[in-house]
Amino acid sequence: MSVCRPVRCLFASASLSKPSASAAPKRSFHASAPRAARKRRPHYPSIKAEDLKLLNQAAETQYPKYDTSETALLEKRYTPAQIAAIKAAETAIDSRDLLTQSSRRTDPWLLPYEDDMSEVDPVTDHAEKLDPSDIPGSHDFQDVNEEERDEAITFIANENLAKMFPDGLPEGELSVETQRQLEEAMGTAVTQAVLDPRASFRVKNRHAAAALSDPRHSIVMPDIPRIDNRMVRQTRRLSSEEAEDPRQKRLLQYLNWDKTKLRSIKVKTLVVHGVTNQTRMGKIRSMYYLTIAGNQAGLLGVGEGKSVEPDEGRKQSVMAAIRNMRPIPRYENRTTFGDLECKVGATKVQLFARPPGFGLRVQHLIFEIARAAGLQDLAARTPRSRNKMNVIKATWEALCNQKLPDEIARARGKKLVDVRKVYYGGSVH
Amino acid sequence: MSLVNLAHVCSHLQNASKARLGLTSIPVSKMHVNLMLGLQREGFISSVTLGGTTPPTPFLLQDQIDPEEHSDMAQKLAAEPWAAYPSAESPSGNLLGGREISYNVKVPQNPARRRLWLGLKYWNNEPVLKNMKLVSKPTRRLWLTSEDLGRITRTREAAYVKGLTHPGECMFLTTDRGILEARECVERKLGGMALCRVY
Repeated sequence: MSVCRPVRCLFASASLSKPSASAAPKRSFHASAPRAARKRRPHYPSIKAEDLKLLNQAAETQYPKYDTSETALLEKRYTPAQIAAIKAAETAIDSRDLLTQSSRRTDPWLLPYEDDMSEVDPVTDHAEKLDPSDIPGSHDFQDVNEEERDEAITFIANENLAKMFPDGLPEGELSVETQRQLEEAMGTAVTQAVLDPRASFRVKNRHAAAALSDPRHSIVMPDIPRIDNRMVRQTRRLSSEEAEDPRQKRLLQYLNWDKTKLRSIKVKTLVVHGVTNQTRMGKIRSMYYLTIAGNQAGLLGVGEGKSVEPDEGRKQSVMAAIRNMRPIPRYENRTTFGDLECKVGATKVQLFARPPGFGLRVQHLIFEIARAAGLQDLAARTPRSRNKMNVIKATWEALCNQKLPDEIARARGKKLVDVRKVYYGGSVH
Repeated sequence: MSLVNLAHVCSHLQNASKARLGLTSIPVSKMHVNLMLGLQREGFISSVTLGGTTPPTPFLLQDQIDPEEHSDMAQKLAAEPWAAYPSAESPSGNLLGGREISYNVKVPQNPARRRLWLGLKYWNNEPVLKNMKLVSKPTRRLWLTSEDLGRITRTREAAYVKGLTHPGECMFLTTDRGILEARECVERKLGGMALCRVY
């Protein structure tokens, strides 16, 4: 016999004692209210019939349907198939939606052509361009002389001022504000007049004169748009805003470099881990950083930093890496001089010179180091321990302490010749 | 011809270089002498002298000159710089006043007491001979043809011998024309038994 049955019987008797009209169970085993009891909200705002009528009227006035005269005009321009497509599009988009959801641009940076800008179409979304064949008549023009230029500037400035003050210039006793506005407007008008092509060239043909100031005839590409959004504004920093780091300043003094040169140094933090110092008071946790720095052209440095503050330790290591940069001899600016080997602790690193085009077939740490130093062809083995810090230090040591052929030649009192260089006539790099 | 002694010589030269010794001695054998002369020819060691259990008198190119003579010599050299070099009239003596002194080295009658004294070289606070290792082993001799040697000197592996990939690395072989360097063997199209590699 099931244990559940008496419980069910118990509930059944309870519901039987109080019969209710609704199908929803009275008793619930949950703390939250039953679904039916929650207040239901529609997913769309309820629009009253009167408002709807108003909306319909507004949509009809704002976006009227084509009338017969307009369709007649369309028929002149478009083929029947195109007209069918236009009609289909007209019916597909509800004019009420257009009214409620879309907006027309009225700002001064409005584009001279229609586009919703939701996506960029590389074919159609180009500013309209015209070429000289679009200008009827002669294209001749002459440079103006001094007098003509002054005359033209005066004329155009007056024209511009007339546009800015359609009711005529303010006369008589002026307030400070109006005076300032007037001066500003005059300055603008003169600047625009000076920049106007009509002030520099004399053109007989009216269309050619118009083309001079027409942006569609400009051969200058419009500026790349300045992207402006919240993300950009937060990340944008001016050089004046940048806090002067005293450590960086000292480093620059030490290296006798300027900031641009420092910026060309590639820096990468390769090892990060926490370390603890056990004292009487307890454990003091700090972060250890090992960073490499290189100019990708034969300079390489390794720096370590440790601090309770993670950012501080990191900065320490970066500065140390840049300060410790040492020259790395590179054969043909791509690989090492022969095979190298260095041992630090239990870590042994073997580096092998390789022919052009071999690439960096090395483990990730040595890869980063080789890239920072500007080596392109290298093979490596770490046959013993692969402790990250020691691998980096051993690689750096090996690269720094290379024996150069001319040094060997001096030491042995022999003549050594780079056969590759001789064979290729010194044109290998 | 045991290679065991040669192995000892290799280790000894490495150790002596590490200890920055100026002069060291090895047991004498025909192979050792020829190999050491080869090393001297390649510039790894400065001098090879047969001697006894005590080191020979240091080899001096020139005897010291007085400070007074120094100023005279400087004046003369300023006027005639070519006088620094030996000429037809004075093939040995030159203006610098140096007379090469060759001491008579006493070589013991007993061959067992003879030693080969080698002058080691250093440059820029680094030994010139840093690494010296056997290629053939006492239990496994390796003979290389001139084709193999051609590959090896061009840093490729051949006949189970690794290429000469370190800068300035040399390999010595014993051939029927004596102990020669690998590049020399390639030049003369000779093969032989590999002895040791040095860099």
